[in-house]
Amino acid sequence: MTRIAPGPSPPRGAGPWRGPPSIVPISSALAFVIGVAALAALPLVTRITPYERNLCTLALLMVSGALAWNWMGGYLGQVSFGHAAMFGLGGFVAARLVMMEPPTPAPLAWLIGGLAAGVFSLGAHPMLRLRGPYFSIATIGVGEASRLFFTYWEEFTGGASGLSLPIDPGMKAQLYWWALGLAALVVVASFLIRRTTLGLQLLAIKADVDAAADVGVNATFCQDLVMVLSGTVVGVTGGLWASFFSFIDPQDMFGFDRSIGFVLMSVIGGVGTILGPVLGAVVFVLLRQFLLASYPQLYLGLYGILLILIILFEPLGLTGLGQRLARALRRHRRGATGVVAAP
Amino acid sequence: MRPPLLATRAISKSFGGLKAVDGVDLELAQGEILGVIGPNGAGKTTLFGLMAGSIPPTAGEVQMRGLRVSGRPAYQLVRAGVARTHQLVRPFPNLTVAENVTVGAIHGSRRATGAPRARALEVLEFVGLAGRASDLPDALTLAGRKRLELARALAIAPLVLMLDEVIAGVNPVEAMKLAALIRRIRDERGVSIILIEHVMPAVMSLSDRIAVLDHGKKIAEGTPAEVAANPLVIEAYLGKGHDGATA
Repeated sequence: MTRIAPGPSPPRGAGPWRGPPSIVPISSALAFVIGVAALAALPLVTRITPYERNLCTLALLMVSGALAWNWMGGYLGQVSFGHAAMFGLGGFVAARLVMMEPPTPAPLAWLIGGLAAGVFSLGAHPMLRLRGPYFSIATIGVGEASRLFFTYWEEFTGGASGLSLPIDPGMKAQLYWWALGLAALVVVASFLIRRTTLGLQLLAIKADVDAAADVGVNATFCQDLVMVLSGTVVGVTGGLWASFFSFIDPQDMFGFDRSIGFVLMSVIGGVGTILGPVLGAVVFVLLRQFLLASYPQLYLGLYGILLILIILFEPLGLTGLGQRLARALRRHRRGATGVVAAP
Repeated sequence: MRPPLLATRAISKSFGGLKAVDGVDLELAQGEILGVIGPNGAGKTTLFGLMAGSIPPTAGEVQMRGLRVSGRPAYQLVRAGVARTHQLVRPFPNLTVAENVTVGAIHGSRRATGAPRARALEVLEFVGLAGRASDLPDALTLAGRKRLELARALAIAPLVLMLDEVIAGVNPVEAMKLAALIRRIRDERGVSIILIEHVMPAVMSLSDRIAVLDHGKKIAEGTPAEVAANPLVIEAYLGKGHDGATA
């Protein structure tokens, strides 16, 4: 694929947009490398408790899931409410592989689980001709159908009582780095998808699928490709999730809550951006942990209120809020110097 | 004899009981500008859709160099070298001008050479939008967006360019500039052009040949002068028994 220079969607109302440099800015790349290195060193150099480490692992896993969801929901503009299907399938395939005698090595099991989920997501191919709300509604149907199907398929998923994986305390600590590695990989992949011709075609399809076809974009192929990539990553995430909890049940893994979670994380952070889903996932996991502990009855309601506020006031979520603050700050600084410079 | 670059063979399209296009034969020769005119509702845009592969024909077929191309999806026709613009401009509003054109340059036809980005910039230069490369399409005037539409189609490096009312709706000065640009596309880039246009002076001066549609049928074909003098054409536009028809 050829490298080109698209860059993120410009902020609305920001006037003519001059465009970013053609490759990832050195400062961003450097910040990313330092960030990953710092996170990797965190459990070694500081004395974080296992509880805190586990919370970080969950956040990192959700970062991968949210970014992968965003490839479809953000870049392609096809908002899926059914990603739990891929998450669950990846989780259960990986779990079954780890429980085999002799057990499959966990990383291989995760990978196979992810690939299975990727292939499974191709089942949504006929739905891709639907766009906007119609597509979203169809994904709700597929997600719920998957949940019921896998709940009743007891030989595979253990039914309502779920599956218990062999417990390996070392693995739970190790998973922090696995989750970090996966998240780093998915961030890089997000950049690659966004900044190559594939990303440009996805954005074109998002804007106008017919006009995209008129300039030679094979929308069907692009959409299938992104769906498989997204499904695979979410499936791998599900596999790591299964190893992390050592117990999974289909009602939870395939649950509608989980699908909504992927949507919420991206919306909170900023749909279509790269930083957005990362921030959104971290906020989502922390908030959920806090709310579940303190106000277990309230937490879904609070998410609802949060969602309404974001969509009403800042459709680009936290990322949009950040951009707005940065602009205000710049204006403020320019205003201040202007006053000084005036004779 | 070499088969024509693009041709329709008795192509028809019905929408329910309405025959929008009814057995039309049309040929486009290499390096030609062919004008398609006709009163409102004559089936011009439908004919374009059929030729560009965005509408499947009810009967008949579209041929490129004698080979059947109808029935293939639109994106494949584009890659074979048939590009089109729309009556209502449809830029991708979320992409900059340069990105809009780059999308067209990604695949392109077999004639396309060079990296998409570089090709896009070259085409922007050609249509006179190089200075607006990093603007959003919203920031352009209507004439600017029409140029963008042309640039996006040209980035494909097409053999055939189908223009659906590119000139209509802009002010007279811009219309002249656009007409000049269309002629340059043929002369300098060797692209054969079919254009639908309501602005009569523009069609008459630009076209080598004109085909006239009325009620989905081709009623006349010839040089601009021949067509303008054809009583059937005058009747279709002005009605029977009009003084102009008998004068």
